[in-house]
Order: sequence, then structure tokens, then C-alpha cells
Amino acid sequence: MATAAQPLLSPELLARLERLELVSRKIFRGRMKGDRRSPRMGQSIEFADFRPYVPGDDLRFLDWNLYARLDRLFLKMFLEEEDLHLYLVIDASRSMGFGTPTKLEYAKQLAAALGFIGLIRSDRIKVEILGAPPGSQAPAFRGRASLWRLMEHLATIEPTGETDLAAGMKRFCLRNPGQGIVILLSDLLDKQGFEEGLRYLAARPVDAYVIQVLSAEELDPPLVGDLLLVDSEDGDKADVTVSAPLLKRYRKTLDTFLSSARDYCVRRGMTYLLATNQVPFDSLITGYLRSRGLVR
Amino acid sequence: MQWTNLLSWWQWGVLATVPPAIVLLYFLRLRRAPQEVPSTYLWLKSIEDLHVNSLWQRLRRSLLLFLQLLLLALLILALLGPSWRASALSGGRYVFLIDTSASMAAKDVAPTRLDEAKRRVAALLEEMRSGDVAMLVSFSDQARVEQPFTDNRHELRRRLAAIEQTAHRTSIAEALNVAAGLAGANSPGTDAETAAPANRPARAQMFIISDGKFADVTKASLSAVEPILQTIVGDGPRNVAITQLDARRKEGSLDVWQVFARVENFGPAAAPVQLDLYVDGNLADAQQVSVTPDKPTGVVFDLPDTEKASLELRAITGDHLDIDDRAWAVIDPPRRAKVVVVSRTPNEPLEFALSTESGQLLADTTYQSAAWLDTREYASQAAAGEFDLCIFDRCQPREMPQANTLFLGAIPPESTGWKSEPLADVPQIIDTDRAHPLMQLLELGDVLVREATPLVPPPGGTVLMHSSAGPLLAVAPRQGYEDAVLAFPIFDDDEVPTNWPLRLSFPLFTLNALEYLGGRGLDVTSRGAIGPGDNVTLEQVRTARQIEVKDPQARLVRVEPKEAVRPIFDGTDRLGIYEVLADGKVAERFTVNLFDPAESDIRPRVEAAVKLGQAEIQPGEATRPSRRHVWKFILLGTLGVLLAEWYIYHRRVYW
Repeated sequence: MATAAQPLLSPELLARLERLELVSRKIFRGRMKGDRRSPRMGQSIEFADFRPYVPGDDLRFLDWNLYARLDRLFLKMFLEEEDLHLYLVIDASRSMGFGTPTKLEYAKQLAAALGFIGLIRSDRIKVEILGAPPGSQAPAFRGRASLWRLMEHLATIEPTGETDLAAGMKRFCLRNPGQGIVILLSDLLDKQGFEEGLRYLAARPVDAYVIQVLSAEELDPPLVGDLLLVDSEDGDKADVTVSAPLLKRYRKTLDTFLSSARDYCVRRGMTYLLATNQVPFDSLITGYLRSRGLVR
Repeated sequence: MQWTNLLSWWQWGVLATVPPAIVLLYFLRLRRAPQEVPSTYLWLKSIEDLHVNSLWQRLRRSLLLFLQLLLLALLILALLGPSWRASALSGGRYVFLIDTSASMAAKDVAPTRLDEAKRRVAALLEEMRSGDVAMLVSFSDQARVEQPFTDNRHELRRRLAAIEQTAHRTSIAEALNVAAGLAGANSPGTDAETAAPANRPARAQMFIISDGKFADVTKASLSAVEPILQTIVGDGPRNVAITQLDARRKEGSLDVWQVFARVENFGPAAAPVQLDLYVDGNLADAQQVSVTPDKPTGVVFDLPDTEKASLELRAITGDHLDIDDRAWAVIDPPRRAKVVVVSRTPNEPLEFALSTESGQLLADTTYQSAAWLDTREYASQAAAGEFDLCIFDRCQPREMPQANTLFLGAIPPESTGWKSEPLADVPQIIDTDRAHPLMQLLELGDVLVREATPLVPPPGGTVLMHSSAGPLLAVAPRQGYEDAVLAFPIFDDDEVPTNWPLRLSFPLFTLNALEYLGGRGLDVTSRGAIGPGDNVTLEQVRTARQIEVKDPQARLVRVEPKEAVRPIFDGTDRLGIYEVLADGKVAERFTVNLFDPAESDIRPRVEAAVKLGQAEIQPGEATRPSRRHVWKFILLGTLGVLLAEWYIYHRRVYW
């Protein structure tokens, strides 16, 4: 893998990413004090509202000036700021190991960039690898200092095993019941179908992004002739005589597949993005994802 | 379908191993190259519905194999040399003799017999195979090679279409000789193969496409050709034809012209015919007659006296042949006869009689002495037929001139057959033949003759004046001319031989002689009937520098004048009236008519077979069974399959 030789993110890109922040369309409750507005009233300096006093309220927040004027007790409420939980779910099945750069590489870069944005905004970053054994999962990262640990963790991810989107997502959801932003980086090439896995995501009160990463070879196969196609994950074999009509049919199938994924996501309130490894990575982040509202 | 084995058994053995080899190679090739892909998910989905018809799918995948096997099968098929019986032309060399005679214009076969003949030949040309050569000959009474041997079918078709109907009679002999001669010789198209004597060309097939109305030809060498006769006769041909048209002065009354026509019916039943006589293009008379089959019917029209007229007779018949429904005749003014009088001594009474007004109107007379007969001038002029009438007065030429002659007191040379008996004193004229034009209106009862040598005319001669001593005046034909001989002189220097010059009958006789012997009788009938294609000797153009003949369509044909020989015109292809122009003036007119019962009789031959040379030929079908080999087409198909395979392999457009 090119990871070792080449850093996932270049310093120039990091400088540009520093100006960005993750955007959640929903406001979630965090666990710790952070930079994000919380639905709870809290102790920040930003005033939010008044409400009548009920016994038991903290007397420190009574508005004595109002009491003096109206002879009634009102409580001042302030906005609370909390941290944001960002889950980066990376599909590291063997099918992600194709393409130049590989789809996994591309996904890792994407994850690193988004993670970096989150870290510098004091968000909580959790990297989850689909299909990886439970023990290998990394802890959550928080704070700018954790950037290099995040990078190192991402660099260790290698394509292994089969895509089992349903099982992986189920496990992820069970383990991480909290709210936040979930970004799924996968090629969605699951023979059982991606719907099952995405359904778990849709059921969660999270802001979900599905970024489908495909290689150029998958979008426009450079194959011709009589071939025995071998599936990289399960070794399934298919006799295919690649001809112009078959390629036409393949493209049609691909279009159907992509549009069905997009429709599925859009109907369930998830944001769907198609990324190919041919789109330069930094332009994806600074242009594409910004226009889609994931970062700002 | 029949097969021709082209290979020996071991070659077939080798060939038999090829199909298994191809199948084997195909299965070897079917070991597909393994190619790892991220996921076969999309591929499987793509080919999912293709698998529904898996047999068809497999066939489709094996398309190249099938194409290769098909290719091989076609090759083997070609090697087996399939052929089948075809009713095509066989022989490689063909001669088409196409009858263009007048009877081929008959419309009993729509549109005409000639068109049907051309259609048949065109169909036969279509059946020719590449490499075959054919020759086109059209014939009527003369043969014409329309196209020598060639394998250029386009040219043959073009020449065939250009063959035209003629009005000529039918005579196949010349065509047979031409065809047999050209077929026997090495044809230019095939000389490469046939130059060696060992490779004599095969007998050409000679198709005679005619209505069969030609006489058997006994003297024909048909060793080089194989004649095949195809006759074209429709059902129930009907034809009524004008077979003769003459205009003559009415006997006895010289100022009335009679037009005689003969009409014949060659149909199965009596037919009413309307005959319209046009004089100078205007309808002058018409008659309705009913003509019974095979019984010539004569029709007579009377015309007032005329100096010059063009006559055309049209028969309105509604029959199948139009070409013989019209006939032409001309009446020309009598021209001045050219007369030379050769006298031993000047003959005053004769000169006097010739110099009358009527005599000068009829004749242009010159006088010569007997010595002139020995000159070269006489020899050449007499041989060239310069004169219409030569009068030999008491002298005798050594060579008879090409002219009518009148001998007075002398007889022609012995070679002509004239003889005279010993001198008889005072013969009494007993009788004269008053019906003869020479003797018309002559009253000879008061004529006395002192002495005469009675005549013995040659066979065919006619005695016009009988006397107690024997014939005194006789006429006899001589090669188209007539000689009249008077047995006594008219005039002599020493004594008076007769008192005839003093009688009224003498100038009348002289005028009769000028009229009859000098050519007054030269009307339409004198030339005899001229048929289409006949040669015509132009009589009246002796001194002309420029001779032209205007044909019925007013086209001018130049005829070169020749020294001492009368020019001959051979362009009488069309029916109608021809005008001979000498130095721009009409010198003579003649007509060309079909007048041929054999051509007009368009009914089929009584006996179908035709004798040509030694062979008797039955009309038959042109085509005969032959083998048609198809390996060329199979090879072409093989090439097509090969191209298809190449295309599919490279374009991978299975569908």
C-alpha cells in the first residue's frame, strides 16, 4: 500500500482543511463540552431564553432585574455547547483493494481528511472498520493532538475479507448507540444487497452520509474477449464473453445499481455521494463535499 | 443434383480431420483467461437475463465456431462439385440466324414475328454462361453478320436490338454459308485456345429463328455447325396481298391507261378487300372485292390518258402483314428514243419519214454510213447500249448492238440465227399481223415489191408480213432486245425496189417502228418487277456526270457513273417509287414492290421439317439438358462467411 510511503494528507491540504468544519443538519446531544451547540440549555455565555422559575432551579440563573421590575421570578437560559460524534465507517473488504489508487486508499484519505476536520473542531472521531474483528477497533479520537494517532490507525487498514454490509452495520449500530454523524465509505458491492445494511443506519437517529467509492475500472471496464471473471472476495467465477453489447448491458446495470442506491438513501434521509478514484481527492473534499453540505 | 468427386480417398481423409481439429481448437481456446475483478456482482446481474435462454446463449457464444464449421462445410460442398441438370444452352459457341425477311413483319405473333424472334434470342443470350461466345447473323435474301463471335453479352444484346425488319425475300443459303464459314474458322474470341489444330473448335450450335418460309437448301456444308430450327408462326395467320400491279395503255385505245392489279388471299377464309388507287397521292378510284383463298383475283382500274403519274394501290385488309398491302407503279412520258440509221447509201425516203413532226417527237435520229460500222466508235457505243434502235439499211454489222434493231434489205449476222431464202421475184403480200404494234393501222394492199429474199426467223420469231414467196417482215427477240427484219430494201440508188415509200403506210410503219422498237413501249411493265434488294441497271443516265437516286423516303443516294457500263443501283431496300436524278433532273423512275407470293404466304409450312444440306431438321426447343456447376457460387458464399467471421471476430458484435 502506498500509505507507508506517502502520507494520507499533505500539509498543504491540511492547511486548507483547517478552515473547514463538519456540519450536521441535526443538533445532537454530546457527552462532553465541545464547540457545538447543544439542544440542552447550558452554561455558555450565549443567552437563549427566559422561563418561569420552578422550585429546584439553580438560583444562580434567576434574573433579578426582572424580579425587581415585575415581582415575578424568571430564569435565564443559556445555550449549551457540546462536542459532535463523527463515525467514519470504512468498508475494508477485498473488493476495495482495486483501482489506482485503490478504492480503500481513496476512502482512507477521505476519512483522514474528514477526521482531521473533526479533530480540530474538538469533535469526537470514531473509525469503524467493517468486517474487522471486534478487538481491532480503535478507540475514539479527540482533539488536534490525536490527529497522528488517527492517521496511523487509518494506515494500518488493509483490505481483507468479504463485504457483509448487513452484519457489519448491525454490529456498528449495536456498539455505538449514540447520536452524531455517520459517514459510510464503501463500494456497496454486496451480493446480498446494500439495502439490509443501510436499513440499520436509517433506523438510527444519526446524520448519515453514504459515500460510494468506485474505481474507474468498475465504471468502464477495460475488459474484452472470453474471460473467466473471478470475484476477489468469494472467488466466485463467471464465464463472460465481453462484447460491445455486453458492456452496454453492464453499464445499464451499473446505472441501475447506482441510481437504486441513491434513491434508497435519499428516501431515508441519508445523503448519498458517488466518488470515483479518478476525482482528485482534494477537490472532492473542498468542492464536492462542501457543495453537498457535509463541510463548510 | 449430381456430384463430381474431385479428390482421392486419402485427400478426403485429410479433409475429414479438419472439422474435429477446428472443434478441438475451439475448446482449447475456450479456456478463458481468468481475470480478477472487485466483484462479479454487477457482471452476474448483467448476464443474468442473458442466461434465460441458455441454449441460444451458448449458440451465440459459439458463433465463431459455427461460422468456421460452416465455412468448412461449404468448402467440402464445393469440392464435391455439385451440379444439376439445367435446361441451359450447352456447347459454348452459338450462331443465331435471325430471319428479317418481309414475312417476319407479320403480326400474328404480337407484336411481330421479328420481335418475338429477338425476344427468344435475347432469352437464349441470357442463358449463356461466361466464356460462351455467340454470333448474330440476320438474313433475308442476303446474310448480314450483325455481330461476329464474342462473349460480350452486352454488345450482343445491343446488336440484337439494332436488327431491323427488311422488306426482302427469304433465302437462307447465303446465311448458312456465312454462319458455317465463320463457325468453322477460329473465332477471334477463342483463338488462344483454338489456335492449335488439335483443338479444333467444337461444333457451334446454330439457331435458325425464322417463320420457316424458306426453301430447302441442298448445297450447304453444315459440318461446323449443329442447326436448331425454331419457327415462329402464330395461330391462324391471315394475309391478303397485292401480288402484281401494272399500268398499260388499253389495247386498241391508246389514250386510256389500264391499271391491272392482282390480289391474293393467303388466309383460311374469303376476305373482303377494299382497294384504293391513288394517283399522285390523290384517291382516284376504289374497288371492293372479295378474295377467296389461293385464288388470285384480278382487278382493273381505268385511268384517263396521262403523260406522267405515280400510282399507289392500297389494300385495306385488316390482315396480319401490312408490308404487302401497298404497291406502286409509275407512268412516265415517252422519252425520245435514240436512233441511228446506218445506210449503205443515203436513203431519202427513210430520212424523209423519220424527219416528220411525229418522228422528231419520238426519236432523236443520227445518220451514219456503212463504213462507220467498222469504226471503234460503233463498237464501243453499240456495246454500251448507247442507242435504243439501230436501223441497218442494206448493211450488216459484224457485232449486234445492245439495242433493238431494224434491218431493211439485209439480215442480221448469222450468229443471231436469221436466215434468208433465195431471191424471189415479185412476192405478193398476202397477210399482215395487224395486232402487232409494228403493223398497227398499216394498209399494205397496194404495196408492190420487186424482189425479196424471204426470211427464216430464228426460234421465237414472229412473222408479221406473209407473202406468196414467204415471210417478208419478222421480229425475233434477242437477249432482251428485238430485231425486226424487212426482207426487201426500201430504196436503192440504181432501181426502185418497191413502191412502199410512196404509200401512206410507210411513214406509219416508220413511226410504229420508232414507237415500238424505239422504246415507246417502255412503260412500267418493261423493266419487269423489281423486288426489294434487287439490283437496278440505270438506263437513262448515259452521259450524266452526277447520278443520284432518291428513295421513297426522299433520301438521296449517289451512284458513281462508269465508263461504257450502265451504272447499277443496289439500294432498293424500301418499297415504293424511286427517282433517278441525272445531273439533278429526273431521268427515270422505277418502283420496288414485294410482289412475292412466297413472302406474303405467312401460313406455316406444310411439312415442318426443313432440309438443310444432308440433314433434315425438325423445329425444336433451343435448350437441351446440360449440367450446371455451382462450385463457383459456393466458393463465393464461403468467402462471404469468411468475411463475416472476420468482422465478428474483430468487431465483437455478436448482437
